[in-house]
Amino acid sequence: MNLTVNVVEENEKSILNVVGEIDAYTAPKLKETLLPLTRAEGKIIEVNLENVNYMDSTGLGVFISALKSTKESNSKLMLVNLQERVLRIFEITGLDEIMDIKAAIRGGNE
Amino acid sequence: MEPQSCVNIHKEWDIVGARQLGREMAKRLGFGTVDQARIATAVSELARNIYLYAEKGQICFEFIDNIEHRGLCMTAVDTGPGISDISQAMQDGYTTSGGLGAGLPGVRRLMDEFDIHSEIGNGTRIKAIKWVR
Amino acid sequence: MEEVISKNATNYKELLRNYMESQDEQALYGVEKVSKAFIKNNILPEEIVNLHIQAMAEVCNDLTEDYKNSMNFLLEAMIFYGLAMQEIPLLREEKHILQSEISVAASMQKTLLGTNKPEINGMDIGVISVPAHQMNGDYHHFVKGKDGSLGIAIADVIGKGIPAALCMSMIKYSMDSYPEESMSPKSILKNLNRVVERNVDPSMFITMCYAHYQPQESKLSFSSAGHEPGYYYNAETDTFKEFETRGLVLGVSPDTEYKEYEMTINKDDMVILLTDGVTECRDGDRFIESQEVLDIIKKYSDLPAQEMVENVYKHFERLQDFQLRDDFTLMVLRKNS
Repeated sequence: MNLTVNVVEENEKSILNVVGEIDAYTAPKLKETLLPLTRAEGKIIEVNLENVNYMDSTGLGVFISALKSTKESNSKLMLVNLQERVLRIFEITGLDEIMDIKAAIRGGNE
Repeated sequence: MEPQSCVNIHKEWDIVGARQLGREMAKRLGFGTVDQARIATAVSELARNIYLYAEKGQICFEFIDNIEHRGLCMTAVDTGPGISDISQAMQDGYTTSGGLGAGLPGVRRLMDEFDIHSEIGNGTRIKAIKWVR
Repeated sequence: MEEVISKNATNYKELLRNYMESQDEQALYGVEKVSKAFIKNNILPEEIVNLHIQAMAEVCNDLTEDYKNSMNFLLEAMIFYGLAMQEIPLLREEKHILQSEISVAASMQKTLLGTNKPEINGMDIGVISVPAHQMNGDYHHFVKGKDGSLGIAIADVIGKGIPAALCMSMIKYSMDSYPEESMSPKSILKNLNRVVERNVDPSMFITMCYAHYQPQESKLSFSSAGHEPGYYYNAETDTFKEFETRGLVLGVSPDTEYKEYEMTINKDDMVILLTDGVTECRDGDRFIESQEVLDIIKKYSDLPAQEMVENVYKHFERLQDFQLRDDFTLMVLRKNS
């Protein structure tokens, strides 16, 4: 299964559109793109997960290191449009409480 | 009589010149078509190493012709940065992984004898011999 | 060896001659056998091209210069294929060395992380833990206290294989250093969280559920650090209920506090703890639903706990064509008196 990541720059905001499955094989690709963005000072990084139907714990690891990195650079990481299956992983692991996460259409985590 | 000739390696184009000289000398020594091609490939790898990493250097060819042996000896000398970890440079098994080419392990495999000396800051000297069978 | 080559070379020439004359399928079948013999004897592609050039020169006497030149060109193009081919045995040997090294590490891991399933009065325990590859990134651990109580840990490190297994050893040794009987699940997790946070890479984390059972009061207390929720089976109502545990995974934030939950367990009730290798099983491209896991558990619930978990594992192993995608750990605790 493939993963494509493309970045759209919008003023102060970088939008990452991720499409595919995030697992041990594809996560390095996401990390390569995401981490450098989080090191920039005072930025907003929005990750659109609308087209990600599967993510395993390796994917969570990438988002955790991205989160830690944004804290050092005063940037902000937002995950948007999570599908139910992906959202559940954030909920189980308690990460939804320390990350800015918005689910897709049906309900949120609030 | 032991003819010797050298090619200076400075531009990419010089790699072709070195291959050609290596092949001609191999032909004169009576190597078969397959071994000629292998020798040319080994020359190519050595010359490209010089071109890529040392910028400047020389490859010399020498006939070895005595009662026991007949063969072609090539010596590649450069004054580049040297190789810090020869074991790593000689690590085999990566021809197929792309990028690095056959490199030194390939040369060792294409030739019959292989020897390398390298000093950081002073350059590298590689000697390789192929015997006529 | 030389004989094999020259015999096959002659053979090749004859087959080529036949083929040039009649385009006979039999000749093609013949060359297939010759090529197998070449491969077996490590004959390189450039040597075969050369053999072909020589054979053609004997078979046809009106070869054009263009043809000859093109064949020399082809020979040149084969040199690197020859080099690549020569690496195969070497790579195979290296793979073999790595495999045996890993299997030594895996058996060492088994010894290091081994835990004995304790005998607890009135409690039937079943557990199975199977790695997807050789090294297991799941971990479970039982501690029987002097007061007859039972401590149970089940954990999963992000990823699998060697890095996960190395990380698990750290958890095991930190846990060994705690006076576990005297500590509550929430304080064990709080302590472990600090150890993990300090010692591992930022992208690494561990999920864990820690439970403590006191047989005298039939009381189970537990805390979860982002671990896949377990299930409680209520025998009286014949229903399963997912544990609604909250808690952040270990290793993310240094000062995390964990909630502790408590429940009373009655006769024939079951507590099911698992890792996401169980709930994220795939059947082809389809993910299984958690209800399916429960249905299978239910199906085997008449068996003793150990047979039960083994049968559930066999079911999902088969469902996934005997290729686990992730480490699989399933634990069942059933109160039987």
